Amino acid sequence: MAPEFSSMVRRATFVLLALATVAVEIAASDGRAVLQSVGLAAAWVAVAACVGWFVPPPDDPRRKPPLWVLLLLLAMAAASFAVEPMRRDWTGDGHPLELQMVCGLRNVGLGLAACAGWVLCLRLACVVSLFLILFAAAMTNHPVVMVVLGLYTATGSVWLMLAYWAGLRSDFVAADKAVAIEVEAGGERVPWLGLSFLVLALGGAVALVVIGPKRAVLSLGEWLPTSGGTGEIDPFARYGIGDGPEETAGENAKAAGMVETDRVIEDNRKSLIDAVNDTYGPPHKPPKNQEKMIAAGQAKVIENHGKLPDNRRPSRDFDTARQGPQDAKRPGSQKARGLFEVQGRTPLHVRVVVYESYDAVEKKWIEARKPGDRLFDAEGGDWMKLGHFNDAGWYLGDERHKLKAADMKSNLVPTPAMVTRLRINKVDRPEYYEWDYEGVLALAGRNRTPPGVVVTTDCRTLDPRRLPEAAFGTSGGAPPALTEVPDAIRPAIERIAREWAGDEPRGWPQVSAILTKLRTQYTLDRNAAASADHPVPVLWFLTTSRRGPDYLFATAAAILLRSLDYPARVCLGYYASPDAYDPETAHTPVKSSDLHFWPEVRLRDRHWLVVEPTPGYDVLGPSLPLSERILNTLTTVAAWAWRHVIELSVLLFSLVAAWFYRRELIDALAVRIWVWFPGRTWRDQVRGAVAILERRGHWAGKARPRRQTVLSWLRAALAMPTHTDEDLDQLTRMAEWAAYAPDAPPPWSADEVLAVCHRVLGSWTLRRWQDANPTPALGA
Amino acid sequence: MTQTLTDNSLARAAPNAGHIDGLRAALNKALRGKADVVERVLACLLARGHLLLEDLPGLGKTTLAKAVAVAVGGRFSRVQCTPDLLPGDITGYSVFNQKTREFEFLPGPVFSDVLLADEINRTTPRTQSALLEAMAERQVTVDNVRHTLTPTFFVIATQNPVEHHGTYPLPEAQLDRFAMKLSVGYPERDDELGLLAAAVGHVADMPGHEAMLAEGQLAALQERIARIAVAQNVQAYLVDLGRATRAHPKVTLGLSPRGMLIWQRVAQAWAFLKDRPFVTPDDVQEIAGPVLGARLGIAPGAAGSVIDQLMESVAVPV
Repeated sequence: MAPEFSSMVRRATFVLLALATVAVEIAASDGRAVLQSVGLAAAWVAVAACVGWFVPPPDDPRRKPPLWVLLLLLAMAAASFAVEPMRRDWTGDGHPLELQMVCGLRNVGLGLAACAGWVLCLRLACVVSLFLILFAAAMTNHPVVMVVLGLYTATGSVWLMLAYWAGLRSDFVAADKAVAIEVEAGGERVPWLGLSFLVLALGGAVALVVIGPKRAVLSLGEWLPTSGGTGEIDPFARYGIGDGPEETAGENAKAAGMVETDRVIEDNRKSLIDAVNDTYGPPHKPPKNQEKMIAAGQAKVIENHGKLPDNRRPSRDFDTARQGPQDAKRPGSQKARGLFEVQGRTPLHVRVVVYESYDAVEKKWIEARKPGDRLFDAEGGDWMKLGHFNDAGWYLGDERHKLKAADMKSNLVPTPAMVTRLRINKVDRPEYYEWDYEGVLALAGRNRTPPGVVVTTDCRTLDPRRLPEAAFGTSGGAPPALTEVPDAIRPAIERIAREWAGDEPRGWPQVSAILTKLRTQYTLDRNAAASADHPVPVLWFLTTSRRGPDYLFATAAAILLRSLDYPARVCLGYYASPDAYDPETAHTPVKSSDLHFWPEVRLRDRHWLVVEPTPGYDVLGPSLPLSERILNTLTTVAAWAWRHVIELSVLLFSLVAAWFYRRELIDALAVRIWVWFPGRTWRDQVRGAVAILERRGHWAGKARPRRQTVLSWLRAALAMPTHTDEDLDQLTRMAEWAAYAPDAPPPWSADEVLAVCHRVLGSWTLRRWQDANPTPALGA
Repeated sequence: MTQTLTDNSLARAAPNAGHIDGLRAALNKALRGKADVVERVLACLLARGHLLLEDLPGLGKTTLAKAVAVAVGGRFSRVQCTPDLLPGDITGYSVFNQKTREFEFLPGPVFSDVLLADEINRTTPRTQSALLEAMAERQVTVDNVRHTLTPTFFVIATQNPVEHHGTYPLPEAQLDRFAMKLSVGYPERDDELGLLAAAVGHVADMPGHEAMLAEGQLAALQERIARIAVAQNVQAYLVDLGRATRAHPKVTLGLSPRGMLIWQRVAQAWAFLKDRPFVTPDDVQEIAGPVLGARLGIAPGAAGSVIDQLMESVAVPV
């Protein structure tokens, strides 16, 4: 009897786990009331006790636990992650991912304690409890945890005494009560397949880290939300310096970063905020071309001596707070990667110029007029309310982005479409903004948007497929410029539009039909252009070349939509492509080369819906819940599978057949390899043939026990007396000679060895092995 | 197979195959229906080992010993071990010859080719230990004079496993001198019928009287056994098994290096009896029971299962 078989030891183990659970709960939220933590721990322990109540005692504690124990443990581990969303929803409190993982381990430990009838589970439960209590002690110095630690130590001592006593009982047990433990025949099988997968996975990960592309390496880190970059920001994550999506504003920063903070660094450059410290030192001399600035007010000004590092790149490595071991370390300058950086989901369309009228004679779009003085309302906390969206019912929730100016060439305030409100730190009055075009915002009184300005926006999202027909405007309620189609091209355009979308109902199906036609049957070619003397380039694009730059795609889409009585316009702006996303900084840089044309359709409530006719470009869709994303993915996969049903069927059939006949295939391959490379010596040849035979026997359920030689195994497994199969009999003798005979010439010629091996491998096929009657193994 | 093995030592032993068959036949004739026991006795004899027969009375232990003595063509002695048996009764002693006025050595029963020590556990440890030197070194020392025994000296000792009153269990040192411990066991029904039928018409037992080996032939065979090849992987297998005996929780006394040597030698003899010029793990396993049973400290009745576990615990080389 092993020490662990004692029921007292099992109970002591459960107590150890219960104490560790209490300690972990307290350490996880040490600011919470202790009774609440103890209550939560008690709930988990009660669950484990209930599970333990239903777990049947094993017949042989030394055996491996059955598979359902593993499934039970996995379920216990998953329970921690399943409970977390509910906990956040109901209580508003939550754990970061790492604590969820610890809680998962705690549940596994409780599950192991519940299944402690198996020695393996009991031992693992002890190890887990020790890890948990050490984790809790390292996490906090809460006095209750110290008390629990003391109790754990005392219980652990009792556990040791019980285990020792149980061991003594096993040593001095009466002979008539002794239990004989028989060793299993065949021994423990090494899980080669699992080990191979493990080695492959680990080797692949290491290879990826060492020689793989940097993007792939960084994507590994994105499995954890706390590392940022997935677009998912965990509100309960515990970010550290150099981690998380934001730079950190420091108490005594040594550089300006893309942060929103009350502390500003003294800087003589054309910054947005006036934060010159002129308390001491020479009087401040404003530059000649002084631009409009925002008074810093009560902001704390950090004195700056010397040249300030020029940081124009968002980086989690670049923090303005670090005062670590090298306090004197001064961050270096970082060049801008583009005009601005986008934090948040992409793709994103940022308007720069809006065009409304199409001049067929000049073959160009005419810019929209500048809007009047219609500004917007200031909300608290520097927020400006922009769009007035009615409760139309087709809008979904707002989505937040941060667009961080890096090297803007103009005073543009980059904003996505359908923006409802925005914020720039300390820019608290609407007069600081001005409209360049409808939907295009700029900083008033400035030539450039200075680097480091962070524009936080909330933009409304919608799913265009759910837009009702009434959502789309008509020429009746829109300015004429938005619906006009030049007379010269109207008949041709209307014919194409009717041909493409005439059968579709009005609304999104019609718009989508136009877009789909352009996206699927036309090719994006930035160098394609109609000849200069062509009267109507857009018709050349639509009817002749069927390829062109995005300008022609946008123009064609807008004109076609207008011919179907949808108010539409064309915009020039920046396209933040998901392909440009940088997982290292968790931002998407937008460069001047990302200029892009796209059309927009006016909705009945006067807001503009971005549509994308250009292949390779997409529009930001709504942020769907996980279930809907999974459903969409499944739908997409199902549609793809339906399109390739024949290929998939053939592939599936092949895979099933390959799996069904996997042994025959592997065996045939092994025999072929043996035929090609039988071995250099006759001993190698015989060993190779015997190895194939052994594999066949193993697959046929007659594996050679480790205590049997080939001779005795073959005779026992095939229930065959000697000399009934001359070839097999000879091969067994050859195998004996190959394995144990001295280095003397064998009593067979090389040709005879090969011939015998060939004949045996040919006659004792896998099927014949399977058909042979099993017999008890020799000596068993 | 022996006809084809022209380049090895067994081929040179081929002329003596008839002698082995003759030995086997003679012993099988003396001990009916116990071919497996006879085979092991032969292996023990050829390996220059000594044999301990542990069985109930009347199962043919003495018959077997006599048959062995006759078959190998040597002298046979028998000692009925009793508590009052003295060492000198086994080794011999010196007496004063009044004519020559000198002490003369009168050799004891150990000066024979086959010695049957019947019910050896009934004599005292002192007398048992007198056999130690004779069995291990094939010599005895009396009055500081060393007397050499025959090189083929073979001890067959018997003991009764049931009656323990008034017995002196053999010490481990003595047990380790035996190559094998065997049990004869009851014969099968048909064999017993044949036994009865053969006894009709004979006043007394009719032991064989024909020697199967000439003088020196047994020694020659034993030398030949020593040259049977043992591959390195088989030796490693033996060593692993030996070490496993020392680690097994139910074995209080593991295999000694001397025991390992004896095991290898018996395996060589076993391979020889199977007309094979090399030893295989099968040989090692097949004689593991009697070899280990003689020397491992195992609880009575548990030897079979423990030896099975030992065999399971070490993988055979292939």
